[in-house]
Amino acid sequence: MVAQLFLNGLVTGLLLALPALALTLVFGVLKFANFAVGAMLTLGAYAAWVANTQLGLSLPASAAVAATTVALTGILSDQLVFERLKNRDSISLLVASMGLSLVLENICRFFLGNASRSFDVPISRPMRWEGLRINQEQITTALTVCVCLVLVHLLLRHSPLGRAMRAVADNPSLAATRGVDRRLIARLTWALVGALIGLAGVLAGLDRSIDPQIGWNYQIPIFAAAILGGLGSPVGAVVGALVIGLAEEMSALIIPTNYRQIVSFTVILVLLLFRSNGLLSAKAVRK
Amino acid sequence: MIPYLITIAILVIIAALIGLALNLQWGLAGLVNFGVVGFVAIGAYTTALTAPSIGWLPAMILAALIAAALSAGLALLSIRLEENYLAIITIGFGEAVRLVILNEGWLTNGALGIANIQRPFASLTEQFGGDIVFVIFAIGVLAVVFVALEGWTRAPFGRALRAIRDDATISAALGKPVFALRVRAFAIGGAVMGLAGALQAFYLTYIDPSQFSAIVTSYAFMAVIAGGRGSNVGLLVGAGSIMALLEGTRFLKDFISVIDGVQLSALRLGLIGVGIILQLILRPQGLVPEARRKAADVLAKPREAA
Repeated sequence: MVAQLFLNGLVTGLLLALPALALTLVFGVLKFANFAVGAMLTLGAYAAWVANTQLGLSLPASAAVAATTVALTGILSDQLVFERLKNRDSISLLVASMGLSLVLENICRFFLGNASRSFDVPISRPMRWEGLRINQEQITTALTVCVCLVLVHLLLRHSPLGRAMRAVADNPSLAATRGVDRRLIARLTWALVGALIGLAGVLAGLDRSIDPQIGWNYQIPIFAAAILGGLGSPVGAVVGALVIGLAEEMSALIIPTNYRQIVSFTVILVLLLFRSNGLLSAKAVRK
Repeated sequence: MIPYLITIAILVIIAALIGLALNLQWGLAGLVNFGVVGFVAIGAYTTALTAPSIGWLPAMILAALIAAALSAGLALLSIRLEENYLAIITIGFGEAVRLVILNEGWLTNGALGIANIQRPFASLTEQFGGDIVFVIFAIGVLAVVFVALEGWTRAPFGRALRAIRDDATISAALGKPVFALRVRAFAIGGAVMGLAGALQAFYLTYIDPSQFSAIVTSYAFMAVIAGGRGSNVGLLVGAGSIMALLEGTRFLKDFISVIDGVQLSALRLGLIGVGIILQLILRPQGLVPEARRKAADVLAKPREAA
């Protein structure tokens, strides 16, 4: 029982890792918390669903469609919304991203309604290993996320784009004087972030039924993960996601499962009370 | 038509109360609160549960007090956090309230909700018919709240909050108790949200968790941004015009037959989102910008007198 919950927790954590990473990257490079992350995840799930069930594409192809759709949405929202607000206080960006979240969620609801949907994939028997049940979807999730994390790591650490992104995150004006084009970096960041969130949407759609609220259900865990790791720290976001995933699943041992969603809220609250910089630094307290 | 106008009037009043509360917390004090709906729900449920045994007035006061106490508690824990963190904490609070209401059926009757809530002045209502009595009552509540909040806005309390919003460090250096003032602003805002919830429970005479979704919070933000952050008069204008626009879209259904109910509500909510973004980009100061005094206004006076 405990081992099973641990396993489920790890997979949930891995699923959270992608959007948490996306949140933290946007915060690092563009300096605001993107509250539309949940709605973007919903959009990804629906884009993949349309590709999968309406156009008859395979799941990997649908995932590519989802990643592309959300990446383009990210670039478009940056162009239309966030770029125009970049000189305002961060609270304007925060509220604008909340507005964007309403828009995206309701575009999905407008075209596809409130009904729950699921992908057209064959139902497979869970594998059994040492008394553990392991679903096919869990293996898919774990593999996809691990590959993505390795790729993002390589991109951030060992490519010119990654170096430029880290430079803008660290000190935008210094980066600008060294010829790093902030606009280009912002767009590329949104493309990367959108692809990550879109993929997470597909994985979420494998895990549960797709409805307009699917992303909103992940909103608080995503933020909890990113905050736990210290907003702006990519490694921290992944570690935070694993901790939150484990905490959510393991909480079934002590509290009713109805209240599972309160776990991540409690984790953030307690963390910010006692260690306001997250596990791996970042300032949360204001003057 | 008249009953329909009355319905809109009451919805505007409830939205305006919630907006006024958010305007104090966010507009005046600069404290973002994405958990607005949680406080409204607490007010509504407190009223629905206690009004039958203690009467409507004590129930409303209790609703305001409980919402204020929880608001103050949340503020004590989290108000020193920077805005991104405060935003997610307040979202979490709103979700926690929703979960408790859904799952603690022994108290709240879960998803079924509570029906048959007695309105104030029920006997008068029968005499005059319709919702006229309730509209007058609601206007009365709004008037009292508006006068109180406008008074506080002009008082040293409001000026101190604005100073903290604009620069907390300087305010602290000038000896303003930043933390205590912020907690107070949050608590008063919570109390007003609780009152709005009480009005909603009385008006609908029936409450269930589905009435308290994140939409309530979005309305409030839209109203504050549209009216102008920090301006109470602007808020009334903002809340009124938004509600009129949104309620106007209900009629669209009669003209455009291809849109069903779900699509219509999605369209309305999407439009709120678009509205919030456009307002922020095009007219961030709002319809009625907050009156701002410059140092020169004060300093120039002695010379004029001389």
